[in-house]
Amino acid sequence: MKPNPNLDELLSSFMDGELSPRQRTEVQRMAAHDPAVARRLRQLQNCRTLFCSLPPAEAPGDLLEQIKQSLERKTLLQEHPVSPKRAAGVIHLVFRKLVAAAAMISLLAVLGAVIYQIVAPVPGGGPELVATATNPSQPVPDDRGGPTPAIVVADAGFSGRLELRTAAFGSTDTFVRREIQTCGLTNLAEAGIGNDQRIYEVAGSREGINRLIASLGGVWQDFDSAALQVNPPDSTARPVTIESVTPEQIAAVVARNSTEASFETAAAYAVMNRVVRSIPGGELPSVHEDAGSLLAMGTVPQPKLAGPQEPISATHTPAQGTTQASLTIVLLRTTK
Amino acid sequence: MYLRAANINIDDSVLVQQSQMGDTTAMERLILKYQNRIYNVILKMCGNPDDAAELAQEAFVKVIESIDRFQGKSSFYTWLFRIAVNLTLNHCQRSSRTAARSLDAEETEPDGTTSLVLRECLSDERAVDPATVAQSRELCELAKKCLLQLDEPQRAVVVLRDIEGMDYAQIAEVLNIELGTVRSRLSRARGNLREILEAMLK
Repeated sequence: MKPNPNLDELLSSFMDGELSPRQRTEVQRMAAHDPAVARRLRQLQNCRTLFCSLPPAEAPGDLLEQIKQSLERKTLLQEHPVSPKRAAGVIHLVFRKLVAAAAMISLLAVLGAVIYQIVAPVPGGGPELVATATNPSQPVPDDRGGPTPAIVVADAGFSGRLELRTAAFGSTDTFVRREIQTCGLTNLAEAGIGNDQRIYEVAGSREGINRLIASLGGVWQDFDSAALQVNPPDSTARPVTIESVTPEQIAAVVARNSTEASFETAAAYAVMNRVVRSIPGGELPSVHEDAGSLLAMGTVPQPKLAGPQEPISATHTPAQGTTQASLTIVLLRTTK
Repeated sequence: MYLRAANINIDDSVLVQQSQMGDTTAMERLILKYQNRIYNVILKMCGNPDDAAELAQEAFVKVIESIDRFQGKSSFYTWLFRIAVNLTLNHCQRSSRTAARSLDAEETEPDGTTSLVLRECLSDERAVDPATVAQSRELCELAKKCLLQLDEPQRAVVVLRDIEGMDYAQIAEVLNIELGTVRSRLSRARGNLREILEAMLK
């Protein structure tokens, strides 16, 4: 009999008991009446018997053990999955963290040194900068209501150069000349180059210089820039320049009792101002002045950039002692 | 013989639940319960005892690793066989060329006794005695080789139906195919097997 796919499918399903009762009855009827169908059914059944009778194979006796070992191997591999790429990545990450930590420590050390230089107590106490301009003969009372003691500085001298740039050149020039005299300072030399530059060679006591700076503090907002260059104690070192210097900083530098101390303070301020200028906003956390510290350390006022500030009034106490400080004031005109 | 597939689910759900809770003894019981069936099906499909052992091991490892994700939507029995059969089919497809060469090299002709029994199997005069077939080792080897000459999908349905004893619905679930596909594929596979056997007698 020629194989008929539809019949074979029907007979195959019949053998497997996968037909409905109606279909099953139909196949039985066909096989009973058609010898060809009956023969084909017998062929297929015998063929199926051959494969159904194949003896079942048994799994290896150690299959369970093999499975356990395989799982153990996998677990071990998962516990130590360090690939070379991943290990390299971890090392790189740790290295970067170490470098970042070292950089932070270095920065903190530098800042700490700078702050220590600024706030370190001065032997004999710090100077008092402010006094009233309206009543120069009376000392300004301190917070406790008592009079501020007069500053007596015994030092080896201060030498520096203050460069001020302003658009209000004429009025400032007049103001500076007048204040030099008012503060009891000696104007050793005065030179001018046209109407754009004026140089004053001022000499006197440190207190006198401080009074002059305090007076300039009142017009400090008129300066576009201010830089103080402080000469070193010996000629081998290089001068240090404080950019964007404030009147308070100048006072603190001038008031130190030795050239060396002034120079160190100036160096510290120079570093601090550079750091402050590099910070967005240009401000440091405020540290208020106390009796033992030299200077309040707070928002560092910068000419023009920090906005108007309280004028620092000068005392008009006569200069004491011999010449201890010299300051070259360079006034430069800027155009707006 | 066909009843065994229907009777093996009795305690499966309990054992599976215990396995999911970390009971390794329950998982061992499941493995011991099914290892022979799984190995037998894989061996009949791939024809190589070493490969069959390795595939059975791999299938059980996969089951253990995935038992937490088994949700019981199908029976554990069909899920287990699905994993094993899929692994075996992938293996067979990878090594199909090698297997074909191996079969060609080992082509054998049945001897006198085997030919007689084989003729009885193919005869449409009377039904063949299964015991006679089982006793003829050479006939069994011949039948296994016939199976290996089928393509993998047809081989899979024949093994799952005639050797493992699954019903059509279970086969459809294991192979992820339609019930009608199982029906037609099985019918064609049986027709092809008969032709292969007849070719051996000529």
